[in-house]
Amino acid sequence: MTNARTLHLKVARADGIAPTLRRVHLVAADGARLPPAAPGAHITLTLPAPAGGRPFHNSYTLVSADPEAGYEVIVRLSDRSRGGSRHVHESLAPGDMIEATAPHNLFALHSQAKKHLLIGGGIGVTPMIAFVTYLREQGASFELHQIAAPAEVGVFEALLALRTGERIHIHAGRDAFGLTALLAAQPLGTHVYTCGPAGLMDGVEASAAALGWPETHVHREDFGAAGGEPFVLRLAASGIDIAVAGDQTMLEAIEAAGVDTPSLCRGGACGVCMLPVSEGTPEHRDHYLSEAERGAGCLVMPCVSRSRSATLVLDI
Amino acid sequence: MATRFKSDETFRDDYRYGNSDEGVLRFPFPFVEDSYMYSVNMEPHTRSAAPGVFAAAFDVDEHYVTECAERARALALEPGRCMVLPHMRDAEWDTLELIMESLALDYPDQFALERHGLDWTWTNRPLGIHQSFRFGDATTLPHPPFEYIVRQAQGDFTLQDQRDGTLYIDGGVATTPADWSLAFDVGMTFHEWHGPVPLAHQAGVFDRALQYLMRIRYGEPARRLNWTMTVHPRLDTSPENYPLWGPDRAGLTAENIGSQLFLRVELQSLFRLPRSNALLFGIRTYLASLDDLTRVPKWGRRLHRVMRDLHPDIAGYKGLTRYHDVLVAHLAQFDDGEPTTPGIASDIAVLPA
Amino acid sequence: MSTGTASNRPRYAPLAPDPRARAHLLVTDHQDIAEAAFAPGIGLADFPERWDVVAHARVLPEPFGGPGVQHFRSASHLLALLRHRLAAETMGLRLYVTGSEPFVWDAARVAIEAGMGREEMRLFATGKPVRRVSCVHCRTINPGVTTTLVTCAGCGVVLTVRDHFSRVHNAWMGVQCDAEVPGEVPAIEDLSA
Repeated sequence: MTNARTLHLKVARADGIAPTLRRVHLVAADGARLPPAAPGAHITLTLPAPAGGRPFHNSYTLVSADPEAGYEVIVRLSDRSRGGSRHVHESLAPGDMIEATAPHNLFALHSQAKKHLLIGGGIGVTPMIAFVTYLREQGASFELHQIAAPAEVGVFEALLALRTGERIHIHAGRDAFGLTALLAAQPLGTHVYTCGPAGLMDGVEASAAALGWPETHVHREDFGAAGGEPFVLRLAASGIDIAVAGDQTMLEAIEAAGVDTPSLCRGGACGVCMLPVSEGTPEHRDHYLSEAERGAGCLVMPCVSRSRSATLVLDI
Repeated sequence: MATRFKSDETFRDDYRYGNSDEGVLRFPFPFVEDSYMYSVNMEPHTRSAAPGVFAAAFDVDEHYVTECAERARALALEPGRCMVLPHMRDAEWDTLELIMESLALDYPDQFALERHGLDWTWTNRPLGIHQSFRFGDATTLPHPPFEYIVRQAQGDFTLQDQRDGTLYIDGGVATTPADWSLAFDVGMTFHEWHGPVPLAHQAGVFDRALQYLMRIRYGEPARRLNWTMTVHPRLDTSPENYPLWGPDRAGLTAENIGSQLFLRVELQSLFRLPRSNALLFGIRTYLASLDDLTRVPKWGRRLHRVMRDLHPDIAGYKGLTRYHDVLVAHLAQFDDGEPTTPGIASDIAVLPA
Repeated sequence: MSTGTASNRPRYAPLAPDPRARAHLLVTDHQDIAEAAFAPGIGLADFPERWDVVAHARVLPEPFGGPGVQHFRSASHLLALLRHRLAAETMGLRLYVTGSEPFVWDAARVAIEAGMGREEMRLFATGKPVRRVSCVHCRTINPGVTTTLVTCAGCGVVLTVRDHFSRVHNAWMGVQCDAEVPGEVPAIEDLSA
């Protein structure tokens, strides 16, 4: 329980498996066991930025996770990459050290599902591989529809290691895929899980809703909304200005500046860290303040909340 | 660890039990101030550098061997007190792994865990156990994995499945419950099983607590303290057996309340389990008599003030109403009106005689 | 033992068809559904398919049918066929249940076991409160309880009916009311709705 949040990993292998896909195998830097993970879990890698800017924190689903054998992720080279995926494709090499968060799962299989319907698009195949591996072991009922660019169909077939009789369909291009008919035909008790481009996931959600699926039976990949935009925090009574970085909480920034402020749960629920706001607009992410209190904008929970305005002034 | 394990204690029938001075000084006194109200009093369950109940993930104290014997006795009489729904199989193995890893890490001279792939060997010196087994294969253990490991841990545990925007209590062991029934509550949601708690619902305590719990991450557990009172050092205060222990509440007098009434504190801990994504809820129970606790001047003063001013609904829910007056009258002698320090520390290093 | 005002008592909302659903099935354990079971402006005509109970055996209902009313011989008969119906259904169905509280939760159990979530069913218990009380000491189920105290048919103790309900067991918790001082029994009252 000492901060197990940061894992020190080493690249064991890094192989290109398609023009824009690289599979990376990570092990513990000291050879120790890594935490196990449930299918659907992701890790967040700290990747260096070019020209020494602030590092990137990119989340990748674990394609496989074994405490002794290590973790596997597949990274797509993104056209709009600010540099994280570019680093993985162009610079990352076996022996490199990388920091990562412990696995976290916001896309878990539902324990009461009678059937699991998996719908993936492109790089969204990564959680699907983890799900299929697990569901096969459990002997659970599942069906997978994966949309792939025509050139990648063969790559995905190899990754999924299709077996005879399994309901795994890889569609070359999105037009080949009849989403509405598929969802309409599912038996009562089916849960659908989707990962891929936002358009695909939004489409699955909208079609399911239109067909009367309840929201609790529709799951989409989610890496969580950690961090945000950097902003300036001014402590009016102390006369201190603090630069809050995108990847640190307001509370962490205050503490790093050497200012003593109370806290307890550090998760937005207990109210102990509450501070008064005199200027600026807080971005509330807590579970403590009422709607009215949030609207009034005079209080903020620094352990989880941030600022909408470039500067936030606290009365401490 | 320096602790000597007591070998001859009982928590039922003849109640042969006692805390050493060290046991009293490390007791997790639950009141941070001179009054008490429900709140979301959760904090990160980090290992404290100082010795005490927060120094380990799962605290092992001088009552370890005797409490494990009490659990074995309870399960022999009432096997249904440990139950896990079928879909929580992964969570069972997660729990076994977490407790074994933690005990071996925190108490390396008492517990050891060797792992080669899926072939594991577990050593528990205090209980004289040396077990080789295959992780994931229940046929290689003498009990199902969850039951196997909780028989070697102090306190109750529940397994909670996270789904549909809430938590479901889908398994556990309850041989030291403070008046709740696992058999009855199994399958309830977080709000449903907390149904009977007064006042806290209106204050939004459970809504906030649930949001916090669902966000707990692997490697970042949380904890809080809860409390009630028990007559005699009885661990099994289940509703099932209330006909057996209920009459004790009517037997308290001004003469015996100091030695027979025990403050019962639960150190509740919450761990995210990695393979199942479930939550393990640990309910580690500590018992100390009023006589024990009032040897600490600060605690004597504070106990009087908390009990004197306790909201009647809370007193009712915790079962104190019948003897509340006798309790407050007894505690008055320890309250000289002096101020007390904030926080739960005893503020002394040695227990006065 | 405190009962206080704290409770996990289920709260029921009057029934109205869910506009987002593909199909609707309304089931009840009697024949005449009270107006109070429906939301304002809603009535029987808003539920094209309805199952009810006629309490005699001279009927043969069609469980896989479409619009219309099907009559079942008893609540048990209805629930048995509901299980088969749900096993053949596809996603998008909403189940609406009204009747006595024990029936409502028996039907909910069938739906849960078929893989339906709580959002896919709407429940409305009607009539005077009548509870199944599970004696926590001896596990006997005492049905048809309408008062705050009941003598357990299994072990003979007088139980106070706690305001603590299990949807899984479809029962309320009963705990001995005079364990602390035998004979010190509180006044008996009718259960309030």
